[in-house]
Amino acid sequence: MRGRRRDLWWTVTVAGFLAVLAFLVYPLATVLVTSFSGEEKRFVLAANYERFFTHRYYYSSIINSLYLSTLATLGALVLGTSLAFAVTRYPLPGKAFIRTAANLALLSPPFIGAYSWVVLFGRMGLVNRALQTFDWSLPTIYGWRGILLVFVVQYFPFVFLLVSAALRSVDQSIEDAALSLGSPPRRAVTTAILPILAPSLTAGGLLVFMGTMADFGTPMIIGEGLRTLPTLMYGEFMNELGGNPAMASTLGSLLILVNTTALLAQRYYAFRKAYNVVCIQPLRVKRTSRGHLLGLTIFAYAVVGVALIPALTIIVSSFMPTRGPVMYAGFSLQSYEIIFFRIPRAIANTFGLTAGAVVLDVAVGVLVAYLLARRRSRAHALLDSLIMLAYAIPGTVVGVGLIVVYNRPPVILTGTWVILLVSYFIRHLPYPVRSCTAMLQQIDIRVEEASVSLGVPPFRTFVKVTVPLMFPAIISGAALAWMTTIGELSSSILLYSGPWATMSVAIFTEVFSNHFGTASALASILILAAFLPLFLTYRVLGERSALGV
Amino acid sequence: MTRVQVQGVVKRFGETAAIDGVSLDVRPGELFTLVGPSGCGKTTLLRIVAGLLDQDAGSVFFNDDRMDDIPPYLRNIGVVFQSYAIFPHLTVAENIAYGLKARRVPPDRIATKVAEVGRLVQLEALLDRMPSQLSGGQQQRVVLARALVIEPRLLLMDEPLSNLDAKLRVQIRSLIRAVQRELQITTIYVTHDQEEALAISDTIAVMDRGRVLQVGKPWELYLAPGSRFVADFIGTMNVFRGRIEGATMANGSRPVVTTFGERWRVRAAGAAESTISVGVRPESLALEQGASADEDWNSLTGTVVEAAYLGAVVRYQVQVADGVRVTADIHNPDFAAIRAVGDRVTLWFGASRAVLLPDHASGA
Repeated sequence: MRGRRRDLWWTVTVAGFLAVLAFLVYPLATVLVTSFSGEEKRFVLAANYERFFTHRYYYSSIINSLYLSTLATLGALVLGTSLAFAVTRYPLPGKAFIRTAANLALLSPPFIGAYSWVVLFGRMGLVNRALQTFDWSLPTIYGWRGILLVFVVQYFPFVFLLVSAALRSVDQSIEDAALSLGSPPRRAVTTAILPILAPSLTAGGLLVFMGTMADFGTPMIIGEGLRTLPTLMYGEFMNELGGNPAMASTLGSLLILVNTTALLAQRYYAFRKAYNVVCIQPLRVKRTSRGHLLGLTIFAYAVVGVALIPALTIIVSSFMPTRGPVMYAGFSLQSYEIIFFRIPRAIANTFGLTAGAVVLDVAVGVLVAYLLARRRSRAHALLDSLIMLAYAIPGTVVGVGLIVVYNRPPVILTGTWVILLVSYFIRHLPYPVRSCTAMLQQIDIRVEEASVSLGVPPFRTFVKVTVPLMFPAIISGAALAWMTTIGELSSSILLYSGPWATMSVAIFTEVFSNHFGTASALASILILAAFLPLFLTYRVLGERSALGV
Repeated sequence: MTRVQVQGVVKRFGETAAIDGVSLDVRPGELFTLVGPSGCGKTTLLRIVAGLLDQDAGSVFFNDDRMDDIPPYLRNIGVVFQSYAIFPHLTVAENIAYGLKARRVPPDRIATKVAEVGRLVQLEALLDRMPSQLSGGQQQRVVLARALVIEPRLLLMDEPLSNLDAKLRVQIRSLIRAVQRELQITTIYVTHDQEEALAISDTIAVMDRGRVLQVGKPWELYLAPGSRFVADFIGTMNVFRGRIEGATMANGSRPVVTTFGERWRVRAAGAAESTISVGVRPESLALEQGASADEDWNSLTGTVVEAAYLGAVVRYQVQVADGVRVTADIHNPDFAAIRAVGDRVTLWFGASRAVLLPDHASGA
């Protein structure tokens, strides 16, 4: 009986391990090992690291990266938390709009955000050219200021959404207790409410930190040569004078080190600070003076307004007549004509590869999530950690690892679409796995046992009962994977070849060839494509939740 | 009708034995209850019979069929879970039809059978509802119907009433009993509630720490508990320690001296000077000596320390000696039966109502 019952799940376990080992662990291990190799592929202990830390050209990259990510994290925390408090605790008009706008701001990939600021405030930008008429000019948007602006604007919604959710689960009695014990209102917030939010605050901060550390496109587009770990890594690997995989791997290993350290530190901290909060009565919306409320309203709308600027700029500019990087007032479909005639392939590639990766992610994610939630063992805990590793590993590192491993026999994947699919699949597998395990923990296992006792074998029970009950989690996991895959640049830019360029790659090369019109048109399609499933998800899940499922 | 035999079943979770060598014989068509405190292994044993859990040793038979290698979906059993385990994405009718569809019963047959069972559990008006629109009691009837409609060889129920309020519990309890009698389906019923077990069962097995301590009719367990544990778990029992003082007398009684100095006569076996435990139910104690002359009447005297007047019964806690406190239930009390805290009382019981218990703390 045992053997027969475990057959299928045993296969899933083995397949899951094989996929993660082949496409994540082995490439990353190769990157780590390569970082210790010399020019002649000899094993030279730490020579690359020595070179890294003694040459300013190299070590400035890690200083820049750490500096930018730390500032961006602090900025996003302050902005996101302030907005969350303003929206949750005060009677601001149009709260639903603010929340939706924050969600929408997450849809455009950061590098597109960077590009949009260049369109507005760059040398040939719309604002600067308008100001030139009056002989004015603004300080430059390029360099670290621009990167920081983009990072904060693109990443603060993560903090806002996480902290808002956490604030909604804080009970009013906690604040009341602090007040009744003699804390003035402001102290009640800092001593009673903020500590409860600590896990969400650090989780949001971690997302911002890891995301900005790994961000390749933003510094490339708006940094004007400012070296960060991912851009230098890309440069070392793709150097026209012959790449240096050993130094690229060294940079990649340092990136992994920084991100996993941040991840583990947050896990450790949040684990110790996790409180069980029972929320019966959510925090009251406070009354306040008119002036205060007006100030808060202006603040909130200014923040989400800035967050929406990138998407709006992109869409508007895609319909403007363009020559090179210069855009003129007026309406034209010229940019769309060009992309549909010249690069339709990139659009098809993006949709095909994203759809393929999402289908794979969901199929594997659902099965693996079932294993992790229902047949917990040491092996499955390990598989869980390995899959979640993909969260912490920057796309540039995954890209380099996959190339180093799969450009030589026995398996050669470089130059094919398969390697892109593999990268997309493995990098975004955590989304459906997370959403589905969380859901399964809420589904009573007795429901499945009831089905089995009524004569339906385990796997058919899984299909007939478990999967339908997991449906909301499957949809939201798929939507998240879709959103993050469709604009993926950092591994695509390394892995694509010839006909297999994606839209993100095309946008990137168009921006660098100063074809801003076509870049905007492609980016508009990308943003719309990222938005659609989210919209459909709300519709579908809205109706299902009415059924009480 | 199915006879169920459990033979020498052992189940370990890590180091601890959840089931420590259990054998049982459930007669065809009876309602057999496993009762015991939480963690005694009763649910584990039920899950082994269902096939949802594999035992480490021993066997389960349905009639002459050894079930050990038969997976649960081929055992043809109906299981009712404590948490209902209703399928939330299916209507009431679809929930009930679930097992029939798995058996590839033709659709028109399914419709008739669902309607039939729906009537039996009084759900006919709710067949098109979604489970989220049902109350707890209604959901419980849905899962009962879902288990019964497949005409299982065996019905297994795991604390089916524990999520219901007291009034519904009694209603559903009698519904379960009525349906089970009508269909004559062998049923194994798990509960931690001894009152529920007494009310519903043909046979009860009392379990503790993975072992079966005693199997019997409800009244056998109540009137003749074989151990201190069973005596305490089924109902309430006052237990007194004492010493046999002499030889058996003409009417079969023997003189006994209690630890607090009362001299009694009870029907005890054993050598003189050996120590024994005498159990007396609270309702066997009275405020005066009975009329029957054939009976030996024993008494004990103490001070009332608690008095709870409940109308039909008044329950006294009486301190008899240091560390010896007695519960006495005086039924149908009149004015003369009312005592206040601090009053001295003498309580009487007939020797035939005393239960002799093995002189250990517990154990079979």
